[in-house]
Amino acid sequence: MQMISWNDLWLFALISLLLWVAASWLSLRGGSRKAVCLLAIGGLTVFGSYIGLMWHSLGHPPLRTMGETRLWYSFFLPLVGLITYSRWHYRWVLSFSTMLSTVFICINLLKPEIHDKALMPALQSPWFAPHVIVYMFAYATTGVATLLALWQLCRKQDQLAAIDNLTRVGLSFLTVGMLFGALWAKEAWGNYWTWDPKETWAAATWLCYLIYIHWRRCRPAAVRPALLWLLLCFVCLQMCWWGINYLPSAQGMSAHTYS
Amino acid sequence: MRKNAWGMTRGGLFCCGLMAAGMALQLAVGPLRWDALAWPLNGVCLFVLLTGIVLMHLCRRKVRLFRWMATLQAGIPAMLTCAMLTVLMGVTRQVPTGHAPAEPFGITAMLSFWPFVLAYFWLMLLVGMVTLTRLRPRWRNVPFLLNHLGIFIALVAGTLGSADVQTLRMMVAEGKTEWRAVDVRYRVHELPVAIELHDFSIEQEPMPVFKSDVTVYTKNGLVVRDTIRVNKPLAVRGWKIYQYSYEESRPEVGDISVFELVRDPWLPYVYLGIFMMLAGAVALFFGREKDDSQQAEGFDKGHNVSSPVLAHNSQERSELTSDSNSILTSKT
Ligand code: HEM
Repeated sequence: MQMISWNDLWLFALISLLLWVAASWLSLRGGSRKAVCLLAIGGLTVFGSYIGLMWHSLGHPPLRTMGETRLWYSFFLPLVGLITYSRWHYRWVLSFSTMLSTVFICINLLKPEIHDKALMPALQSPWFAPHVIVYMFAYATTGVATLLALWQLCRKQDQLAAIDNLTRVGLSFLTVGMLFGALWAKEAWGNYWTWDPKETWAAATWLCYLIYIHWRRCRPAAVRPALLWLLLCFVCLQMCWWGINYLPSAQGMSAHTYS
Repeated sequence: MRKNAWGMTRGGLFCCGLMAAGMALQLAVGPLRWDALAWPLNGVCLFVLLTGIVLMHLCRRKVRLFRWMATLQAGIPAMLTCAMLTVLMGVTRQVPTGHAPAEPFGITAMLSFWPFVLAYFWLMLLVGMVTLTRLRPRWRNVPFLLNHLGIFIALVAGTLGSADVQTLRMMVAEGKTEWRAVDVRYRVHELPVAIELHDFSIEQEPMPVFKSDVTVYTKNGLVVRDTIRVNKPLAVRGWKIYQYSYEESRPEVGDISVFELVRDPWLPYVYLGIFMMLAGAVALFFGREKDDSQQAEGFDKGHNVSSPVLAHNSQERSELTSDSNSILTSKT
């Protein structure tokens, strides 16, 4: 069998992207859910085969360089998108995941030098890509929930059901991301939770979202405070994501400076 | 509602009291010394904690306080207190683990700051109590139990077990065998495992990775020959041996490889908690709450871009639509 290389990426990527774009377009138009899923699965199969073949020709899982990690992003983003779509039928979600996936594919195609740029050893872990991807989805779902909350606060339109649900989904992604992070840290550094600034903010953010879902059960009629709290949660999430890079107290303290 | 409101206020007051008590403790005895909790003391604490929770649960019909502890009115203020202290930790520069705080209050060593410790302890106690109220084996209790029991186990094992975690550095020169290691305070420990370093090298492909070719001996006669590299620790008899760093070759000794040895006897329980929470998160993702089955029809049609998928019952929803800005108005 002929060995596959980076030079073949464009072909696989093109076919997968066409399928994913078709799926996104169909789902935006409210087309048949089965067709949407089949198209998305088709794209995943094609892209997945590329990763499989790369794995085969490299002789190790493609996890060692930036470029290889981006392959996993491009694969898992549409996968998580598809799972979210098939469970909750949010029509925008496939477009979002396809868009992100396209960005990573384009980086891989347009900047071939990153194929050789090795990751620092601690990042060469099977936990790394899932950890990042799950967090990306958490940002997306909670982001949409925040927008809807703002909308409801300003326009007084009831979006509560969708907000609650997106927040639940977002919280489940946050939980998984946080715990994958812990498992990975244990493997790489020998400690699952070191309370470095990123982890501290992740814990705070997680607690804030936890408060939201418990508050919604406890005081279902107290909507306004809940929505305002949700805005605060999102601020906390931003802090966790990029804010700490500018926080004086966190300078030079974090093991997460690569992110 | 009146009663509920009181419940939440009481929760807040309780947390304020806890903070005050914590602050008093902090000023009286100084930061908490986690290492004092080492085995067997943490075992005793675990026993007392679990028995206490079960006893309080059993007395809940007689004692209102215990009944209240398993409610959201108690839980939410506890989460809020923990969140606030965690944010405070996030905005202050923390001193390295094991060091004394850099200011008189102790918030720069947050993990040893009594109010912080007590807040998390309170949260742990509450989530333990909540778990017991729903311990009946019903399918709909499963996601609840995975999440709540999961975090309870992870918190208990993680905090009580932290004093038993040993993290040591061992420096071994090529061709030598070493069994002594130093902890973060540079105290020397003699270990039940010894490492013989055959060869240390730096792999260049695709980026520098240190690796050590070693034989590990244990006191009871186990001999393991293996290669340790960054991210590929070696597990021997409860110890995990990580490649930590190295020192440049010195003329008289050759290369020196630095290992980090970690022993964490409570780790399996922390993992148990973590995996329960992971399963709980999956359940949270896929799960529906009660009472939404009759509305499943509506959402399956998905007319709306953000199709409302129902996290609460219809009665609640109509109440909200009709009256979405009157804060804290109630069913009464
Ligand atoms: C950390 C401490 C926690 C406390 C003190 C706490 C407390 C509570 C309480 C009192 C209830 C109401 C129980 C009832 O109505 O029967 C509840 C429900 C719930 N909690 Fe928590 N909880 C905690 C953590 C979590 C976590 C980590 C999650 C998930 C990520 C979670 C998710 C839920 C959900 C989804 C419900 C409603 C589930 C149902 O009724 O089946 N909680 N919690």
